[in-house]
Amino acid sequence: MKAYFTRHAQVFMRTLGEFARSPAPTLMTVILIGLTLALPTGLYVGLLNLQRLSQGWQPHGSLSVYLKKGGADSAAVVAIRRIPGVATARYISPVQGLREFKTASGLGGMGLFGRHNPLPGVVIVAPTRPGPRSVALLATQLKTLPGVAHVQSNLVWVERLDAALALGRRLVTILATLLGLALVLILANTTRATVASRSAEISVVRLVGGTNAFIRRPFLYIGALTGGLGALCALLVLEIGLIALEGPVAALNRAYGAHYRLTGLGLEQALGLLVLGASLGWLGARIAVARALRQSEG
Amino acid sequence: MIELKHVFKRYPLGTEALSDVGFTLAKGEMAFLTGPSGAGKSTILKLICLLERPTRGQITVNGHELGRLPARRLPYFRREIGVVFQDNRLLNERTIFDNVALPLVVAGMTGDEVRKRVLAALDKVGLRGRERGFPLALSGGEQQRVGIARALVHRPPLLIADEPTGNLDAALSDDIIDLFREFNDHGVTVLIATHDLRQIERLKKRVIRLGAGHMLGAA
Repeated sequence: MKAYFTRHAQVFMRTLGEFARSPAPTLMTVILIGLTLALPTGLYVGLLNLQRLSQGWQPHGSLSVYLKKGGADSAAVVAIRRIPGVATARYISPVQGLREFKTASGLGGMGLFGRHNPLPGVVIVAPTRPGPRSVALLATQLKTLPGVAHVQSNLVWVERLDAALALGRRLVTILATLLGLALVLILANTTRATVASRSAEISVVRLVGGTNAFIRRPFLYIGALTGGLGALCALLVLEIGLIALEGPVAALNRAYGAHYRLTGLGLEQALGLLVLGASLGWLGARIAVARALRQSEG
Repeated sequence: MIELKHVFKRYPLGTEALSDVGFTLAKGEMAFLTGPSGAGKSTILKLICLLERPTRGQITVNGHELGRLPARRLPYFRREIGVVFQDNRLLNERTIFDNVALPLVVAGMTGDEVRKRVLAALDKVGLRGRERGFPLALSGGEQQRVGIARALVHRPPLLIADEPTGNLDAALSDDIIDLFREFNDHGVTVLIATHDLRQIERLKKRVIRLGAGHMLGAA
């Protein structure tokens, strides 16, 4: 067992030595792989951020219940709270509503409405069971109440956003699959060229009794190492991209009074990307060497 | 040790390299395989180490009937043979030590045992102390010696050589062939393909003669 690991360590060290001897072509391949992996990873990170941002906005299927103007708001609120499907009901009075509108819109100092307040009282209702069906049922029940003018489900735009995010995720998956395939082909082609340049060495190794596994080993290390370094390069590209976006995000935060921070991949996801890169590299090399060995065996 | 029975070899383009060739080389024996260029000497050596397969006939080497040898056993079979080429086929970007160590590394040997055996093999061919150098820094004769050290480092019972003195002058050729004789004296079976009649005359060993793919005699 010790001899087995020693042999692998020797091959690995020799592979590193070969990398060091010809850094330029290796670096170019690594950068190419890095950029190829950075594209779907960047889109994935963008989606994650969008998802996180929208989770902050999401009222989890809440309903906005607009009360009739001039009616008894307190009685309507009591009636709403009595409905079994209502978890919480937060009342926003017309005065409070106008104040919030003025603050949010920045139109507070313009005196647009004078003394007249056109806003009705609103009750923000959180259902006990979130989800399109129960929210729709609750909305129907709320509409029948006497003091209620209009019920608006906030679930609609949440559903639309979710659908858009799902579409985004699917697109990222398709793109990642295609680019992953491209990466395997890039590495297979690079390995094929390396195998061809070392055909004399392979024939000598064969002659002295080298097994296919022995011949394959250094090429698999080259493939895995190139893929892994490519993934590392993709992580760097991503990090640089996030740093470049920090300024514009801060400006948006200032404009909206928000405190949103862009986040990159977590440690697990970053490690996953490294493993993925190395695996794709290994696979590309495996395909190329298997083909070359079959051909050289005649 | 080596037995060829009614061996035929026809290459895909129709060239008949061997036609009904047969001979036996006993364990511990040394023989020269001779004949003009195109006689089939190299083809026989390729068949013996299974770089080629015969079109017809039976070949037995070290007790293995090659026609029945499964592909997965092929590398292990080749570890029982040492092969020396006219062009020595050294790996020029690797050190002399690494070149000689290759059959041991391939067989899974590591550490001190490899070092001990490589230095012993280089000592035998008179190149001890040159192990850190590279093949291109050596003369043709020295390169051939490295090739012989590589062929013998894993102590195979059979050594085959294809024109090992083809690129060397007379004095160097004598040295190289004497090395083969020395190994044969220690029990290694040796088969050398050559058309160097001077060496054949000098050593007085068995001669297997070929001509245009046919056996002309085995004295």
